[in-house]
Amino acid sequence: MSALDEHAESLEVVPVRHPGRIAAGVAMLVLVVMFLHTLISRIPDPQTGQPIWRFRWNIIGQYLFSPIILRALLLTIELTVVAMVIGIILGVVIAVMRISHSRLLSMPAAAYTWFFRGTPVYVQILFWFAAGTLYPTLTFGVPFLHITFFTFHVNHLTAIEAGIVALSLNEGAYMAEIARAGLISVDEGQMEAALSVGMTRVQTLRHIVLPQAMRVIIPPTGNEAISMLKTTSLLSTIGVYELAGTAANISAQNFENVALLETISIWYLVVTTVMSIGQFYVERRFARGSSRATPETPWQRLRSDIRGVRARWKLIPQGLTR
Amino acid sequence: MSDVMVQSINLAKSFGSNEVLRNINMEVHRGEVTCLIGPSGSGKSTFLRCINHLEKYDRGELLVDGVRVGFDLRNGKLYERTTSEIAKDRSDIGMVFQRFNLFPHLTALANVTIGPIKVRGMSPSDAKQRARDLLERVGLGAKADAYPSQLSGGQQQRVAIARALAMDPKLMLFDEPTSALDPELVGEVLDVMKDLARSGMTMIVVTHEMGFAREVATSAYFMDQGIIYESGDPKEILVRPQSERLQSFLSKVL
Ligand SMILES: Nc1ncnc2c1ncn2[C@@H]1O[C@H](COP(=O)(O)OP(=O)(O)OP(=O)(O)O)[C@@H](O)[C@H]1O
Ligand SMILES: [Mg+2]
Repeated sequence: MSALDEHAESLEVVPVRHPGRIAAGVAMLVLVVMFLHTLISRIPDPQTGQPIWRFRWNIIGQYLFSPIILRALLLTIELTVVAMVIGIILGVVIAVMRISHSRLLSMPAAAYTWFFRGTPVYVQILFWFAAGTLYPTLTFGVPFLHITFFTFHVNHLTAIEAGIVALSLNEGAYMAEIARAGLISVDEGQMEAALSVGMTRVQTLRHIVLPQAMRVIIPPTGNEAISMLKTTSLLSTIGVYELAGTAANISAQNFENVALLETISIWYLVVTTVMSIGQFYVERRFARGSSRATPETPWQRLRSDIRGVRARWKLIPQGLTR
Repeated sequence: MSDVMVQSINLAKSFGSNEVLRNINMEVHRGEVTCLIGPSGSGKSTFLRCINHLEKYDRGELLVDGVRVGFDLRNGKLYERTTSEIAKDRSDIGMVFQRFNLFPHLTALANVTIGPIKVRGMSPSDAKQRARDLLERVGLGAKADAYPSQLSGGQQQRVAIARALAMDPKLMLFDEPTSALDPELVGEVLDVMKDLARSGMTMIVVTHEMGFAREVATSAYFMDQGIIYESGDPKEILVRPQSERLQSFLSKVL
């Protein structure tokens, strides 16, 4: 038996060292520490010269959980949810129209997407707020027969309603493209197999095509929802008191613009974080049956990381690590 | 009840200027296994897809168990039926595809139950019971909860056969069911099909498996460029082909 074979079981693998990476890491660490220091440092007040928190933590503390900001936060979340729900429904309908064989359905769907993606959402918001001058009332009924089901007074739209209309119509255009990408990503053989067992087109869409399209649709939809959360801030320009509007309103009185922007940024970050976590779990659910392994949840990853570290430092007997 | 399950008379179909099927005549009797052979692009899949109306033919007659699938004949014209009527016609005809086309987001069991539940309105518990029996029959009783991506090609194709059988079809169409399989997996699928043939199922099989055709089929049709050149007892025409085209085709595949 050769010497090589004798040691084969106890040989250890030593990964290659990266000195450049270590130097860059140290430099990064220094920068991070410097930045963290600015967060907790004080500067002289421009008026009184007294030292005050650079980041106005005292003012943020005063407003972060104040009822007026919490109410605005709630409104921001409500606007996001409502506009996204309407946008998603609209988007799926337009996407299905878009892939229809009938030109009468696919052309208007294409035109819709073209128009709403082609103009700034800010302009659309201002437009819907002022749309009452264009169509004072919208009446639903039978044309030419003077039969009316209900009438919609566009000129009575509140700022919030106008904002929701603007955001959801705009979102519908983006969601239509996302949904269409999802629908055409599903293999045509799936449709044929479903039809061949006798399902109707609607059943095929609902039970076979859409669930598979979801895997492609969900990640960008999560992005859209997160983006929508922040786009609602544009509604402050038409007088909706969501987070940004409320912050502007308060700082007009106390001149603490920066502190209020920080306050609402904290809330935007918190909600975005919660939404990202939700997105992760929804994606996991719709990844069922995919050939790629479903990603670990952060808890599972933490646990396997800890297991790995403990194995590295040999804190637990070798036999238990596997 | 007539003895004829499928009757095709002068069936023709074009894609644009490409005449894919020209005057196809075929008669398949109840309980028969018919093999359809021919070179690539000869129109075999298109013909099979016309039978369950996945494809619309342009001219001719096609009756399955006396029913004109997908069309109503009125005043000498063929009117296409509504999508839900077509769906109902199709539910009695099983189809097995070259690339399996299992539903990847559903388990093997759910692949088999979804048809009976959604199309026939069967209760989920009854459908599951039947699906388990069918998976048992194709030798996959233990794989009921596996997703298609966790199954081998041969296993997937056997689930696909069980999925089609769950609708209690009176006719089964197979479009090159073993062509996408590794050689060592072909046998397990052919075994299931032989078993099905012995149980009296009426089958039309597009295949390049000449052994299967000779052993199991009651009749064989050779198609080339949308025309049936030769048909008859497979033990006869596959062994002593008359037409030059079939002779040269067989010399290539054997
Ligand atoms: N949807 C379609 N649109 C246009 N042409 C088509 C379509 N489907 C099939 N064809 C054409 O019809 C002809 C016959 O195709 P078909 O798939 O029926 O052949 P096949 O005999 O099944 O061949 P293979 O053995 O390769 O499966 C081919 O020339 C093909 O290009
Ligand atoms: Mg084919």
